[in-house]
Amino acid sequence: MTIERETSRSIDEQAADWIARLDRGLSEAESQALNDWLAGDPRRRGAMLRANALGMLSESARALGPQFDPKQFAVPEPAPQPRTRRVTRRSMLAMIGTGGAIAASVVALGISLPAAAITTGLGEVRLVTLEDGSTMMLNTQTSVKVHYGARERSVELLYGEAFFTVLADPSRPFFVELPGKRVRATRGTFRVRKLDGKPVDILADQGGLALVAASAPALLQLPQGSRLVFPSESPIAQLPTPQPIAPDLVSRELVWREGKIAFEGEALIDAAAEFARYSKVRIEIRDPSLAREPVAGLFAASDPIGFSRAVASLFGARIEQSGNTVVLSRNQGRPQI
Amino acid sequence: MHAIDRERTRWFLRNILPHEPALRSWLARRQPIGLDVDDIIQESYAILADLDGIDGIRNPRAYLFQVARSVITRHVRRARVVSIHTVEDLGELDMADDRPSPEQVSIDRDELGRLAQAIGAMPAKTQQAFMLRRVDGLSQREIAARMAISENTVEKHISRGLRFLIDWFGHGGKALAKASREREMESSAFDDRARNQSIH
Repeated sequence: MTIERETSRSIDEQAADWIARLDRGLSEAESQALNDWLAGDPRRRGAMLRANALGMLSESARALGPQFDPKQFAVPEPAPQPRTRRVTRRSMLAMIGTGGAIAASVVALGISLPAAAITTGLGEVRLVTLEDGSTMMLNTQTSVKVHYGARERSVELLYGEAFFTVLADPSRPFFVELPGKRVRATRGTFRVRKLDGKPVDILADQGGLALVAASAPALLQLPQGSRLVFPSESPIAQLPTPQPIAPDLVSRELVWREGKIAFEGEALIDAAAEFARYSKVRIEIRDPSLAREPVAGLFAASDPIGFSRAVASLFGARIEQSGNTVVLSRNQGRPQI
Repeated sequence: MHAIDRERTRWFLRNILPHEPALRSWLARRQPIGLDVDDIIQESYAILADLDGIDGIRNPRAYLFQVARSVITRHVRRARVVSIHTVEDLGELDMADDRPSPEQVSIDRDELGRLAQAIGAMPAKTQQAFMLRRVDGLSQREIAARMAISENTVEKHISRGLRFLIDWFGHGGKALAKASREREMESSAFDDRARNQSIH
């Protein structure tokens, strides 16, 4: 039997169809059919990897926000692409907020503008493009101030969590300012988290970092793929050694960029606290034994009620909702979901 | 099989996909006789999907180009795929500098803007469905109700939207309008074929 060779385009189309089906969930028969399909021509696996990656990329469309108007981005044709990059309305606002356009000329004079804070609301994830093309993705309830000067680029993390993508500029190192300390980056990606009542948490993703004291010559290196957690007030000399962090843990730590929360055995009470960062809904757990139950999985950060339902059904717990409070308790009678 | 493994996909998205436009133009310059550029790219990606581990790949761009080259040689000479370690040792591909390549920089910088453009270039219904799914986070079922169309049609729109992204990001955002129009025509023909086939 001879089989006509599929065209690469037809394979791309089928791969996109599969991603669309995966997006709504596969039946058992479809899962089998997908496996069979992938086991065929090897190009299918390549096409599937690419289609899945673009599906993943498209999840960041969430950061475009509800005000996103695609008409603004319609590409004029056949005119060539404009060289200046278009920015989303939000990042445009962010740039105006930090005096983006003005700063460019002021920087040349070596004067820093007093910066306005950029702050995200509850449950909001926002991508901010800085004037040099570096970006910061701000998680829920985060506030930063940008200070770009002639000699350095600096972002003050007032509170919250941010993921930075820093472009190299040898003449202007990049700093994230923390109380009494600064995180220095040459280029690469990293996450800094500073939540009330919690230790500071720094994750060097791609490229190394250095933690330097604001006033003393102390310095601590964070190699690529390492994490450092420390009480905000500790002097650098007393900090522990940064710990290597496995790639899958890195992804889990950064999954908020896709609007999700990942758990891997955290106690339910901690999981509930994590959801409280993203919405007004509060999950209360009535029994200490239930509060200690470990939870695992990937959940939508915006859906604490869906999470509570899943947990209730998993642990046979009872769920009651009134207003913005969801109460989980050990079930005395039959489960109610 | 790692083609739908999330970790592998994320690695691919960050480290490989940004280089597709460069790979494409490199392949086009070499013009491998009798081989289609898109076939080579898919086969190269398949090799990346099938790798047991990617930890050894320190320079993904160089590795991608080497894999693509091996695909060509394999077709021409039935040669074997080079191992990760062989590539690391190749002086010829001395890109040990881990500076982001221009492509890598531009995808970080422009990614969201380009995603917005790609969405902006989608046909109206596809765009609406795609945005409801990705920007507003509705499920396909909810979108079907909202747009008063069948779930099957929603799925088709999501698939079509993805194909836009494949074109858009694979070609560096250029030549999309034309390619997408062609693809649009082809894919509606494809849909017809699919429908006809499914009737039997």
